Amino acid sequence: MNKILLIIQREYLSRVKKKSFIVMTLLTPIIIAGFYGVAIYFSIQGISGTSNKIAVVSENKTLLEKLPSSKNRNYRYVDQSLKEMKSSLKSGTYDYVLYLPDFDLNHPDGIQLLGNKQAGLTLSSKISDDIEELIRNQKLKTSGIAQEELDKLKTSVDIDTKKISETGKEEDSSAGASTIIAYVSGILMFMFIMLYGVQVMRGVIEEKTNRIIEVMISSVKPFQLMMGKIIGIALVGLTQFVLWIVLTASISTVAMKMLVNDKDLKETTMQASVQAKNMPSAQVAAANTPGIGNIQKSLANLELTKIISVFIFFFIGGYLFYSALYAAIGSAVDSETETQQFMFPVMMPLLFGYILSLSVVTNDPYGPMAFWLSIIPFTSPIAMMVRLPYGVPDWQLMLSMGLMVIGFVGTVWVASRIYRVGILMYGKKASFKEMIKWFAYKN
Amino acid sequence: MLSVNHIVKQYASHRALDDVSLTVEQGKIFGLLGPNGAGKTSLIRIITQITAPDSGEVIFNGKRLNSDHIAQIGYLPEERGLYKKMEIGEQVLYLAKLKGLSTAEATKRIKYWFEKLDMGSWWNKKVEDLSKGMQQKVQFVATVMHTPELIILDEPFSGFDPVNADIIKNEILELNRQGSTFIFSTHRMESVEELCDHIALIHQSKKILDGSVEAIKQEYRNNTYWVEYEGTLQPAETPFDIRETEQHKNMTRIKVQLKPGQTANELLSALLPQVAIHRLDEVIPTMNDIFIEKVKQKN
Repeated sequence: MNKILLIIQREYLSRVKKKSFIVMTLLTPIIIAGFYGVAIYFSIQGISGTSNKIAVVSENKTLLEKLPSSKNRNYRYVDQSLKEMKSSLKSGTYDYVLYLPDFDLNHPDGIQLLGNKQAGLTLSSKISDDIEELIRNQKLKTSGIAQEELDKLKTSVDIDTKKISETGKEEDSSAGASTIIAYVSGILMFMFIMLYGVQVMRGVIEEKTNRIIEVMISSVKPFQLMMGKIIGIALVGLTQFVLWIVLTASISTVAMKMLVNDKDLKETTMQASVQAKNMPSAQVAAANTPGIGNIQKSLANLELTKIISVFIFFFIGGYLFYSALYAAIGSAVDSETETQQFMFPVMMPLLFGYILSLSVVTNDPYGPMAFWLSIIPFTSPIAMMVRLPYGVPDWQLMLSMGLMVIGFVGTVWVASRIYRVGILMYGKKASFKEMIKWFAYKN
Repeated sequence: MLSVNHIVKQYASHRALDDVSLTVEQGKIFGLLGPNGAGKTSLIRIITQITAPDSGEVIFNGKRLNSDHIAQIGYLPEERGLYKKMEIGEQVLYLAKLKGLSTAEATKRIKYWFEKLDMGSWWNKKVEDLSKGMQQKVQFVATVMHTPELIILDEPFSGFDPVNADIIKNEILELNRQGSTFIFSTHRMESVEELCDHIALIHQSKKILDGSVEAIKQEYRNNTYWVEYEGTLQPAETPFDIRETEQHKNMTRIKVQLKPGQTANELLSALLPQVAIHRLDEVIPTMNDIFIEKVKQKN
């Protein structure tokens, strides 16, 4: 036991002391916080600043109403001709020129959007939405429907999702919040298993190519060496994980304070409400976006402690499950280039689980596919984490966790039997058949 | 102190060891010889508990080999290896602790050895910055540092220049005087003659020769002598089997094989009346000759 501790200590310290570890650990949170900061900065800028000034040259005689301006589309009707406007685009007074020819309402052809730069997809589709709405309103009015009636027709729907918990209490839930948690934990799980599983494999190959393995094995049992390495690297992963969270959180807090002072924040909200007042009543509801409030409320409502503890369980379980397989692969080859043929079948179920989890499971978290993916140990670490925020019956969670434990005990056992033979084999081209033979060796 | 009894080890289709038995006595230097692929490494791996035999047993100090014995055995494999990125001092300390030494004791001993072998300034160097010979030295220290009762060295001199090889040889002899028993696996026969008390020859998975170096050499004497003389020898008056003749100016050198029962004295008395004898030597086979002869016989 003492020897395992020594091995864990070496594996841990030798990695944590590496320059690349320190750089990665410090740099990643800065980059994440940087992205976060930039995103926030631009979203604020986006609300208060950049609005596209669009000059509308209308030769249309049937459209009576004008295009209403909104937060990033500022329409100005001008009396100049299209030709004149084209040449004045360079002066920069307007960003774009929208040309509405005299078309038949049923066949609105020949509309043009001109600009010094190509209009983005979002902008052009928004403008076309605006025009479509304008035309529809015009048509409805000509068919004799009053303006009040029209306003009434426009309703914005925001579904307030509530989940009835097992105790019968209604809880605020939000598909949005669950999806965010599901995605984040699924991606983290996948990333960590991949990154650190491969590190285990590299470590084993390193010992084998360095030929230190024989010295080591004359002092410790192969199983101790393998487990020491696996646990040591797991601790490196957890250290990095915790440091990332702590550093990212603190850097983002500081960055937020620097980028967004209170005044800006107030202005932003004020501007938003001012704009909201100018908007037709229906759009006000949309501007207040109750969705975001819902997500925040629901995030708090999700059982965070449960999610975190299940995450840690599956993180350790999934990591042990896969890293043991990686250790077996490492022991069977002489160099990293030979690992490809074995890596693929080991990675497949994980990748499979990852892709299906983020598509099928998030769409239908209670369906049979989601159930099976979250029960089978090959995919359960990711699938269960993705399902969990939507709520999973306790018996399924227990079953999945139980199978996970059986699963990793199983892979560790199989891997250690391949490992103890593999590490002493040199120059032999390993194959699956060969590995099965090694597994069957007595000692 | 160590006896290996009827060891059999089978690898898939290949039998690496076939009923091998041998005994290593306390305080001796035991040479384990054999051509490449004979099964030496397989046997060493069984003694160092890296693998287990299919049948047979190993007795260490009267007890069946078990994990308590790991700390009492030091093993220097033929394929040397260290963690490249680790510092030397840290690395040797780690290996010593795995053998059961405390940090304080291990540090003291490493300092002693580093001092002794002129490695004092190496503590903070990384393995990848050392030459191959230097790495070998580090590995030698790591092997003997926990003062094991039994030290197994597989080709210990490969990679050393003559100066360092000599230093290591002296360290081996000194450790031997202090009571360590050695098993020595090599194909370099001159070092076997210099160091070993006892040898065993393994060929094609079987032990084909076993005994003390002296006894084996005696056994392989075949009553052959080199004689150097001046003058002319009359074949009719020389009733011996002359195998080779060499002529250097007026000096003649012949290799004579005596018949069983004949002695060197009889040879001399036959030659004395005819020629002026300058030199007479018995041809004692070197371990190299014996090795080659034995292996060829079996093939």
